[in-house]
Amino acid sequence: MSIDNSYIWNLAEAYVAGEMPDAERTVLLSRLQTDAAFAAEFHECVDMIRSLDGSGKQQQFRNILQDVHQELANKPSRSIPLRTHYLRTAGIAAGIALLTSFTTYWSFNRPDKRNATQYNVLRREIENIKRSQNQLIQNIKTANTSAPVLAARYTGTGFAITNDGYLVTNYHVIDGADSVYIQNRDGAYFKAIVKASDPKNDIAILKVQDEKFRFGKTDVPYTFSATKSGLGARIYTLGFPEDEIIYNEGYVSAKNGYEDDSMQYRLELPADPGQSGAPVLDAKGNVLAIITAKGNKDEGNTYAVSSKAVLQLMHSIRKDLSIRIPKNNKLSNLDREQQIQKLEYYTCSVKVYKK
Amino acid sequence: MNSNPLNTEQHLLAQLARGDRAATAQVYNQHYKTVNSWLIKNGGTASDAADIFQEAMVVLFEKSQLDEFRLTCKIGTYLFAVSKHLWYKKIEKQRNQPISLPDNTDEGGDWAYEDDINAHHERETHYVQLNNALEQLGEPCSSLLKAFYHNNKSMQEIAADFGYTNPDNAKTQKYKCLARLRKLFYGVQAK
Repeated sequence: MSIDNSYIWNLAEAYVAGEMPDAERTVLLSRLQTDAAFAAEFHECVDMIRSLDGSGKQQQFRNILQDVHQELANKPSRSIPLRTHYLRTAGIAAGIALLTSFTTYWSFNRPDKRNATQYNVLRREIENIKRSQNQLIQNIKTANTSAPVLAARYTGTGFAITNDGYLVTNYHVIDGADSVYIQNRDGAYFKAIVKASDPKNDIAILKVQDEKFRFGKTDVPYTFSATKSGLGARIYTLGFPEDEIIYNEGYVSAKNGYEDDSMQYRLELPADPGQSGAPVLDAKGNVLAIITAKGNKDEGNTYAVSSKAVLQLMHSIRKDLSIRIPKNNKLSNLDREQQIQKLEYYTCSVKVYKK
Repeated sequence: MNSNPLNTEQHLLAQLARGDRAATAQVYNQHYKTVNSWLIKNGGTASDAADIFQEAMVVLFEKSQLDEFRLTCKIGTYLFAVSKHLWYKKIEKQRNQPISLPDNTDEGGDWAYEDDINAHHERETHYVQLNNALEQLGEPCSSLLKAFYHNNKSMQEIAADFGYTNPDNAKTQKYKCLARLRKLFYGVQAK
């Protein structure tokens, strides 16, 4: 059996592989035709070998596929030469750095480029000479003081820091001025010069040239708040949107101002051109801020620079100029009307002349 | 008609039929992405795609083993059509209900390889039975036959690995194993 077994498998293997010599092949074929039992056995063997061969080959092919798939999966989708790769990364990094520096540069230099449609500074442009009767009379009364010959180009509001002639207003009011005059409660003009300015926070400190000038009979009755007031704080303001002093009141609507400027407040307070530089006071008579601009969107939306910015500017120049920062608040116990009566002396209209 | 690309493909297929790794890799890398993205769009995962596409490659491989083998379309078209078909069948199986095969009258040939796939499934069943028989064979026959047929080892290597004094002894042992396998396999089939 074992010899016969080996014989038939050997035959079948050679037959499947096609390695059978022609003579042997003819013998085999004739035997297959005559010996049916042998033929059946032989064909089974051939099938067996073919199946094993086929399944073996397929298994090997599947192994290759697995291999190829692994390779494909592990390969990055695109291969970029290393140097080019780093060049690209470096290029992007440089681009970001450049963009960042431009953005930083822009954001630090922004105040001068405020969006004109969203942010309107409140200096008043005077196109026509329009003087009230009252003022003319007052002008005649104080004819000895040097009133300017020409009409002012812009007007704003200012208010006293010290009784002897230091006052604060907005930088944009006096920006580019040929000369600046203030007009006090009595309607008298006094020439003022710019002593210090902070364009970023939009404030300027002026001094009335006349050494004998005094705002009132006593020292400045209010103090400058060193901290920012909270939301909803009741505030009021006095300013010169017209030739006459105007009172307005409102509240702090946001702790930060235009484009989240932390040196500003946003106020719900009606304001008109000419009120730039007007003081914003709380109920106790502390100066909280200086009106700077109004938003475009609705009427009451007004921006004001925090008094902190004024204090900072004062501190920076006090050594050179011997400014005494007001420390006594004489308004805190007074009611609103009495506060305003006193304040009127220390608030003035700022007239700016430009060619 | 430009017959040049077809000639190249025929050459590629001839190499693939012989189990050439480079040719297989070339075909695989060229066509895998298409099938992969189609399958993912049609509710499959990346691993489904790998399974299906490899199955399609096997179908192609088996077809290429036949003497009368001729591919009437491009390799890519064939693989894509077969992959689609295999995927629909798989979904059908998962849902355990017949699906309405999409009418692809515009392409026309989508279900034209039904025969190939049926033959493939028959063959797979046959091979699974064969492998089961092979496992039941016991040692050393199971390992010896696997070494020879699956791992392509020569009789010299097998003689060395399995401790036979010479290749002829190993060959005699192999024939004994084949005889046992035949009994087992056809016995199983007879049932």
